[in-house]
Amino acid sequence: MIKIKDWRSYISSIREKDKDINSFLEFADDTSAGTGLISGETLLSRETLLSRVPFGVKDNIAVTGMRLTCGSKMLENFVSPYDATAVAKLKAAGAVPAGKTNLDEFGMGSSTDNSALAVTNNPWDLSRVCGGSSGGSAAAVAAGLVPFALGTDTGGSVRQPASFCGVYGLKPTYGVVSRFGLVAYASSLEVCGIIADTVETTREVFNIIKGKDGNDQTSVEHLPASPEAESIAVLSGELGLSSEVMAGYQKAVDGFKASGYGIIEVELPMLEYGIAAYYTIAMAEASANLARYNGVRYGHRSASAEGFDDLVRKSRDEGFGDEVKLRILLGTYVLRSGFQDQYYTRAQKIRTAVRNEFDKVFGRADLMMMPTFPTAAFRHGNSGLDQFQQKLADKFTVAANLAGIPALSIPVSVENGLPVGMQLMAPVFAEERLFAAADKLALQLPPAVCPGKMEGF
Amino acid sequence: MAEYETFIGLEIHIQLLTETKIFCGCKSKFGDEPNSNVCPVCLGYPGVLPALNEEAVRLSYIVCRAMNCRLSENAMFERKNYFYPDLTKNYQITQFSNPFGRGGAFEYESGDEIKKINFHEIHLEEDAGKMIHQGGKSLCDYNRAGTCLLEIVTEPEFKTGQEAEDFLQAFRRTVRHLGVCDGNMEEGSLRCDANISINTPGMGLGRKVEVKNLNSSRFVKKALGYERKRQEKVISSGGIIVQETRLWDEDRSVTRSMRSKEQAHDYRYFPEPDLPPFRPDKNFFAMIENSLVELPLTRRQRLVECLKLTPDQADYICEEKALADFFEKTVGLGADPQLSVKWLMGNAAKELNRTGFQKADLGSEGCPLSAERLTELLMMLADNKIHGKIAAKTLTAVFDENKNPAAIIKENGWENAADDGDLKVIVQKILDENPKAVEQIKGGDEKPRGFIVGKVMAATKGTANPQSVQSLIMKLTS
Repeated sequence: MIKIKDWRSYISSIREKDKDINSFLEFADDTSAGTGLISGETLLSRETLLSRVPFGVKDNIAVTGMRLTCGSKMLENFVSPYDATAVAKLKAAGAVPAGKTNLDEFGMGSSTDNSALAVTNNPWDLSRVCGGSSGGSAAAVAAGLVPFALGTDTGGSVRQPASFCGVYGLKPTYGVVSRFGLVAYASSLEVCGIIADTVETTREVFNIIKGKDGNDQTSVEHLPASPEAESIAVLSGELGLSSEVMAGYQKAVDGFKASGYGIIEVELPMLEYGIAAYYTIAMAEASANLARYNGVRYGHRSASAEGFDDLVRKSRDEGFGDEVKLRILLGTYVLRSGFQDQYYTRAQKIRTAVRNEFDKVFGRADLMMMPTFPTAAFRHGNSGLDQFQQKLADKFTVAANLAGIPALSIPVSVENGLPVGMQLMAPVFAEERLFAAADKLALQLPPAVCPGKMEGF
Repeated sequence: MAEYETFIGLEIHIQLLTETKIFCGCKSKFGDEPNSNVCPVCLGYPGVLPALNEEAVRLSYIVCRAMNCRLSENAMFERKNYFYPDLTKNYQITQFSNPFGRGGAFEYESGDEIKKINFHEIHLEEDAGKMIHQGGKSLCDYNRAGTCLLEIVTEPEFKTGQEAEDFLQAFRRTVRHLGVCDGNMEEGSLRCDANISINTPGMGLGRKVEVKNLNSSRFVKKALGYERKRQEKVISSGGIIVQETRLWDEDRSVTRSMRSKEQAHDYRYFPEPDLPPFRPDKNFFAMIENSLVELPLTRRQRLVECLKLTPDQADYICEEKALADFFEKTVGLGADPQLSVKWLMGNAAKELNRTGFQKADLGSEGCPLSAERLTELLMMLADNKIHGKIAAKTLTAVFDENKNPAAIIKENGWENAADDGDLKVIVQKILDENPKAVEQIKGGDEKPRGFIVGKVMAATKGTANPQSVQSLIMKLTS
């Protein structure tokens, strides 16, 4: 991993490189707090694996003294007074936040184009999106600006941009990494994840940030499951993939076979209902999680409001983007009294059913492989996927969030100049099994390096 | 027979006596500089999570157990969604589907009867902040935001405001006894809302009206009395009761309409994803059993039956757990129960008041009067080693000098003037010095008696037992 000696020149060179990509919303030296972090005095003096290693932080994860915009006008000027647990653990290990990375507003989207503050381009092809919602983190890692970055994964938000940018993206077991300091979108689904350019870095960072946290009572101690695996389940039947992704998929299957894994075809009938269940639960939780932004204590406050109700209405109308408003409205709708059985409760039942199906799959196979996303990175704007198509395309990623299991998106090939990723899923706590399989696959299919990637400082 | 049947239920909120707030480490303290006991968690900043206070859970279960509720083995928290400036997250974390306690019943005295009220449920929730309106501006103080609030909901079984008030007072005494709440209604650490409906007998509940702003148990009776009459008038004149929330206006002694239920919120309750269900184990339930104390009503009955206190004495003693504990300790140490209760109600209460202590301070380390010291004093009194006035003086000295009574008495030479032999000599001497007074006494005039007693007391520096002096005067002048 790169170790930075001259932080000022490092930050200025990534700032320069990022001009085309726009993966960062803020660099460390933009604020006195950030400057403090990169100045000599605060750097860890003893040598550790991560000492003087820079990392990116998705801008919905709190770093003391840096902004916490969530890609939203609502929090454009909000400065965090505290560190997220994952950030605090990395700082204690000697790593240094290089800046905050762009995202879809409040994590809602699959392209990062839903950010109200910046448009991030895919470093492989600047006319294309970097994926989302942790798109800034994935683009920054792919471009070599940082060796790793923190992201958040609610329905694929770490894995999908990782696959679009040709890097590794880990969604850990639910609860294994504390959510404290992660701005809530859908609390029961999301987890803090890692985007990195190697399996080794992903593993190292995971081992540092995992563990039970008193500030997050849904967090749990990581009880590592066996890393051994002999078989990988894959879905039978038509998957509805683009030709690029299909090509990558075939290469991955062949690569795993060549690595000695047995491939077992399975069915996951509940997958068809996953999207509906996922969005029902996520939007319901979002409608409450985003209620706190009312212009009273912090965040955007409408200048023209009179009285409390008007202040709330106008501040939220002006501060939130369309996709956020849509999800709040739908979430409010599905939670109405008298309609919960029809929507929210039913979604929870589907969730249980999805979990049960995975249990069955893992009774037959040690791992499961699925495409991360049905397409490679699409273009910005109308020529790409529309918002509804993007939601349907989350079908493969949301399953792991509904089931709470770990999943790792692995770069397997480059097709027509665009990276393609496959996600490997494992039973809870079996992250090490994912890393071991990814290591083996890398011997067969070495990850391609993004053209123009920065190397060394 | 009343024309209508009345149904009254209470919703009581008590602030639990925890050091810190329900979901963060902020002090649970009021009256401090506004917004000084706050942090990102209780201010609802982006990214924070609640961490449930174990002490709040323990105190909640103690109340549920004391109220004989079914204790939940799988308690859940829910979000109650509504926008209000004093609610930092714009949802309140509360309990809805699986509260800590369900059912349960509690006996209380009303008039000469022991009555029983059933509970609907008891649940824990976070309190909101406080709005202060001044000079056309609304300000928010979030010191109270996120403090621990336990809500106790009774069934609508009270028939009169008097019953509701009697229950509320008994309940207040009980939570103070349990040490879970200070019960201060004026400061809002115990708050009460009531609901009341009337109907033709046998027809069940009527359309209910909620009454708020009941800041003292006295208001409960007054407001409910007023509200029952108002509803009777409406129905008798052919009207219909509007289901609504009304505020008690103490100045004008009326209830006023606040909001109608038609505009009621849909709170969109759903399970709080940030808190796992609370599933207590056997050890937890055993700990709750061990935390239970004898409740005021039972204790009062026991003091009357076993220690022969009068009902008034027992009421006084049982008002405060600390006082009752103190009293029973003196009895255990050998003090006469009647003597102890009289001194606690009399001189000890006076001294506490004079020195700025509360009855609740009795037995605490900072209070100079310990049960041992009071017992020592009362036993010297009972053994006739000192007399009442000296005992009172000694008690004052115990508070002022923080010393044991025996030591004070010894230092000051306050023990009863030696024996009757010595005293007899002194009395005879005084009588000899005042022949005129002796003559008057012999002639049947009682007045000079006091004069002689005073002289003797002066000569003995107050240590003579006035009764002994009296009887010696009788003997020596007859």
